[in-house]
Amino acid sequence: MRKSKGAGEDTSRHNGSTVRRRGDRNSEGDHDGFGSGSLQDDDNDPATRREIRSKYRDLINSVQQNREDMLSPSNNKLTEVLEEANKLFKDVRQPREAALDAQLLVVATDLGKEKASQLFAEGSSFNPAAFAVHLLSFMGLNRLENGDNEEENGEEGYLPNDAWDRVARRAECCFRTAPTFHYMMGSFHAEPPPPKQKIERQRKATNKEEKRIMPTQLKKMEESHQEATEKEVERILGYLKSYYQDDPSTPISYYEFVIDPNSFSRTVENMFHASFLIRDGLARMYLDDDKLPCIAPVEEEMEGAATTSRHQCVTSISMKTWRVLIDAFEIRDTMIQPLNTQNE
Amino acid sequence: MTQRKRLSNSQTPSQSKRRSDPLEEDDGDMPFTQPSTSQVQRGLEKFTNSQVDQKAAEVLQYILVKDQKKIPVRRADLVKNVLKDYRNVYPEIFKRVVQTLDQVFGFKLLEIDTKNHLYILINKLEPSEEAPPPPPLGAPSSPKMGLLFVILSVIFMKRGVVKESLIWNTLKKLRVDPGEKHALFGDVKRLVTDEFVRQRYLEYVRVPHTEPIEYEFRWGQRADAEVSKAKILEFMGELHEQEPQTWSQQYREAHAPPGASQPSTSQQR
Repeated sequence: MRKSKGAGEDTSRHNGSTVRRRGDRNSEGDHDGFGSGSLQDDDNDPATRREIRSKYRDLINSVQQNREDMLSPSNNKLTEVLEEANKLFKDVRQPREAALDAQLLVVATDLGKEKASQLFAEGSSFNPAAFAVHLLSFMGLNRLENGDNEEENGEEGYLPNDAWDRVARRAECCFRTAPTFHYMMGSFHAEPPPPKQKIERQRKATNKEEKRIMPTQLKKMEESHQEATEKEVERILGYLKSYYQDDPSTPISYYEFVIDPNSFSRTVENMFHASFLIRDGLARMYLDDDKLPCIAPVEEEMEGAATTSRHQCVTSISMKTWRVLIDAFEIRDTMIQPLNTQNE
Repeated sequence: MTQRKRLSNSQTPSQSKRRSDPLEEDDGDMPFTQPSTSQVQRGLEKFTNSQVDQKAAEVLQYILVKDQKKIPVRRADLVKNVLKDYRNVYPEIFKRVVQTLDQVFGFKLLEIDTKNHLYILINKLEPSEEAPPPPPLGAPSSPKMGLLFVILSVIFMKRGVVKESLIWNTLKKLRVDPGEKHALFGDVKRLVTDEFVRQRYLEYVRVPHTEPIEYEFRWGQRADAEVSKAKILEFMGELHEQEPQTWSQQYREAHAPPGASQPSTSQQR
């Protein structure tokens, strides 16, 4: 058992935990199992093992912490580390140390790979620091004229506000970016909250005012729209009756009645209002002997007016017709006097 | 093989969120596989031509809107959110979309991840020779692009890989400190390691075996597709008042024939 413990590296691999508990067991096995050859003492002396392991760890740390340093082509530190490792390796007996050695090799190789990639710099080298200095100038850095222009860290001067915009513009021609999609007139998603508040406030203001005015205004409006027509119709009825009464036997030509030779629009209005009269049975249209339309008020005594069968027709007039009619009937003056500017 | 590994590694930090995201590859039903041509034929019989055109237009709009943030479009999302019933005619729709993008917009739809089917939009047209006019005439360009440009330039001039410390140090010299909030860029570290990475402009990869953990930056697939190395070199030449050819290696790389650097199989590293 002791032999296997001492010499059998395999068992210790399986029982890694046993090996970790340093000192006692190993030393026991040492005394019991083997004769004390100095070599073997060293091999199993826990202190030595610890020393070797700690040296390895030191080496690994130094490589990791001083990476930048080791990368620099100006020194041979990496080679020195490897030589150190070589020396240490001669004393390696147990797999734990060998594992550390392997770890060191991995770290060192990574570093070596990086150093090697640096080697490929044929042609001009690229120095990012110098690049930064040139770029600052490009961005428009105003280097203030101080006494100490020796400052290396470039903290002198101030960058203009559009410094990065300058770079961006110069950079644009190196990019083949697809231009982003956006609505030409902006999107609908412009921030909703602020405008809503404003609108509400505005609405509230106008609402109040409107309510205040509404009682008075509404009446007026209603009057002007609904009653205006009625008034007009009544007025026209008045005209019709008065003309009829003047001369009940002569039929009043419809066209002579409605046409206003001075204004086409008033003519149309007159026709419109006259149609109300017909609709309400207050006037009637008939064809005279010449088959020309005539209009006459309906006598109120005639009860039959309500039961007379009603006919419908649609009349229309165009400007051309209007002028033709004016010429045909030789209408000089309007029969329905236009209202004054009351409704305008 | 290392290339694929690197790709999937680089996607892990930014996509680890997506992996746990329930929308990833979750179509409710089966994950989407390309329908066969016979399925497509049958599918086409179900819909009228104008219906298919309409669907293609919807897909197109989806892609365009997604492109606003420059985040790659996932095919799974497309199928789930836009195509829905039309998934069987996907190849036909896709064909029309690509054609429209090409002929109407001058864009190219590039697949940057053949495994997860991610797409980005790039411009087919070369940018104009001179710098665009400053505002108000030209559209204002985002200062973020300037920052990205600086980072990409450094990476390129350093032959494709740089440690993050180099980038931060260079930026500090330009008054951009990842530790502080920047007036223009805000959280610089997040912008560079998260946003640019998600947009596929940069790759932010962990360096193996480093303690404490270190990362390095490389060009992302979108940068490979969009950015002209030759033009970067030109700019370098202007800045340093040197001929671009003096950087012989970078010059060779910048003027290599197009086959040398594909987005998914870049040999530069």
